[in-house]
Amino acid sequence: MDDIEKTKKKEEEAKEQKAFSNNDSRLKEEIRQSLIKDLEKKVDDGVDGEVTEEMVDELMAQFWKAKEETLEKFLKKKRREEKRALEGVEKQEETFTRFGLNFRIQHMTLFTSVLLLIFTGMPEKFHEAGISGFIINALGGIKVITILHRIGAVGLSAMFAYHCTIYTIFFRQGRRDFVELLPMPKDLFDVIQMIKYFFGLSKERPKFGRFSYIEKFDYWAVYWGCMVMIGSGVIMWFEVESINLFGKVVVDIAKEAHSDEGLLCALAILIWHFYNVHLNPRVFPMSWVWWNGKLTKDEMLEEHPLEYERIMEKKETKS
Amino acid sequence: MKKVLKLILLLTIFLWSEQGYAAELKNGAELKKCTTCHGKPGFSKVLENGKILDLYIDEKILRNSVHGKKECTDCHVDITEIPHRGEIKAVNCSKQCHFIGNTSGAPQTDKYIEYKNSVHGKEFFAGNKKAPVCQDCHGTHNIFKPSNGLSQVSRHNLPRTCAKCHLNIYIEYKESIHGVMFEKGNKDVPVCTNCHGEHNIRRPEDPLSTVSKGNTAFACSKCHSKVEIMKKYGIETEQVETFKESFHGVASEFGSKTVANCASCHGVHDIRPSTDQKSSINKANIPKTCGKCHPGANINFAKGKIHVNPKVKEAGIIYYVSQGFKWLTILTMVGLVTHIFLDLYRRKARSKETE
Repeated sequence: MDDIEKTKKKEEEAKEQKAFSNNDSRLKEEIRQSLIKDLEKKVDDGVDGEVTEEMVDELMAQFWKAKEETLEKFLKKKRREEKRALEGVEKQEETFTRFGLNFRIQHMTLFTSVLLLIFTGMPEKFHEAGISGFIINALGGIKVITILHRIGAVGLSAMFAYHCTIYTIFFRQGRRDFVELLPMPKDLFDVIQMIKYFFGLSKERPKFGRFSYIEKFDYWAVYWGCMVMIGSGVIMWFEVESINLFGKVVVDIAKEAHSDEGLLCALAILIWHFYNVHLNPRVFPMSWVWWNGKLTKDEMLEEHPLEYERIMEKKETKS
Repeated sequence: MKKVLKLILLLTIFLWSEQGYAAELKNGAELKKCTTCHGKPGFSKVLENGKILDLYIDEKILRNSVHGKKECTDCHVDITEIPHRGEIKAVNCSKQCHFIGNTSGAPQTDKYIEYKNSVHGKEFFAGNKKAPVCQDCHGTHNIFKPSNGLSQVSRHNLPRTCAKCHLNIYIEYKESIHGVMFEKGNKDVPVCTNCHGEHNIRRPEDPLSTVSKGNTAFACSKCHSKVEIMKKYGIETEQVETFKESFHGVASEFGSKTVANCASCHGVHDIRPSTDQKSSINKANIPKTCGKCHPGANINFAKGKIHVNPKVKEAGIIYYVSQGFKWLTILTMVGLVTHIFLDLYRRKARSKETE
């Protein structure tokens, strides 16, 4: 019984307080009156009404100031906490894993090998340039260069072999991505749409799926490049066997193809790929997807809206 | 007829010498003192080791040589009395006259310094008595300007002068295409010094040598890259350029000691045309020649051209591969770069709109 009465009382009090807090001036008046009553009792003898008024005014001012400050402090704290909580929730919702660890390691092997290959191959192609002599001598002469080039070649070949066989055949993600990467009629329409957009004939950029035509081009360029470079490279690495089997002309063709395709690869990487993942104003100085494999919701909506829609649909059907 | 000619010759010499007689009276008298003995053909001395030292001096040759106005004692400074006593020292050209700042007007160049650093000079100063000094190549009393056909170091006589010591090499050279053409009087083919240098001859192992691993291609290209020389003999001048572009050339340029240069395949002193059965680059011999560095090379190495220039149509399929890649690269890059600039332009335009 007592408990019920107490809770009832409390509820009533809380209601009253709420009502008071809704009206600042009423609250102020209440406090003022009670203060006057209290003080009048204490300073009954020898103190006139005016002095009491003055004291109460001063007390009220101080009290009100303290009340406002405390309120502000609390509100700030509460807002900050709310914001933090909100951000955390949003972050979890907004990142999308684009590349798994396996694929990221493949990409890292690929670019280390290719950079090493470009760095040791270009001075040989452009041997007349002064910088070529500098690079070759700085690395320890032509012998060291050829060994470094072969190390790069082994790295690239291992990565390419792994990607084409094990990753594409035995990994679910590999199989899925391979299918997604196949050129489709939509890519042609996307190119046309992009050209329209570039020239202002259309206000909309084409909507890409998991892989845009730009990324598909990159992928198949690497595929073709690897086949030409590894094929011709192997012919030249085992030059005696190649000539014995096919004649010198095969090695000459391999050398020409290796040299020319090498330049094409280097230019495509340094200009095209670097623009798309480094220099382009949207990602400058670098898109971090190669490192953490993640895209934010904004990036997904801008670059891969169709994939975003698909992921969201999947989530909905699951839940 | 011959007698008449001889008489005329003698008469002119007599008259010519008569003209200068008054001025050279003193010197002439001195020379005559020497020629009393040294002017007799067959005047010689038997050395301790049994060899015969010919001491005959042909006065006519000496008088026509570049030192024609010098007297015996100008060079043989240690001779003061007749008959000579003690050891007669060899004349030291560079110390006695041909030194920097000499007052006698003897021509002086840096060639002596070059000699000091050459293989011959180094050996000489190391005490090798077989090493040649000035006189061994230039002659003693018969020194003429190199342009004079009588000079031992004239183009015409040079291979034989070197052959005094390097006989085996001379025999190899004589049978090579360069040697054969030289014997025919060809003025374009190289003699020893054209490749090896003159006073600066160094060992082929020395990187500074004109025929060192790294410099051989340059030595050959002095003639073999010149169209005006090569077109006379129907030899292509592309060989040097194609070598430089090949892996052999690039590795050689950056100091590889094992990679092939011109001489590795074509030979050194025994260079012969590929049509020659004995040539190292004859089709039948190519597997062996290539096999020196590429063990297991077979006859397929001899098929097709070795010096290929992908930039000319004669290269056949290689030319078309080269052209194909050239256009593939140009078109791809033009496309990609256009895409990049359009993208940049569009981004800028859009950012302006949003502003």
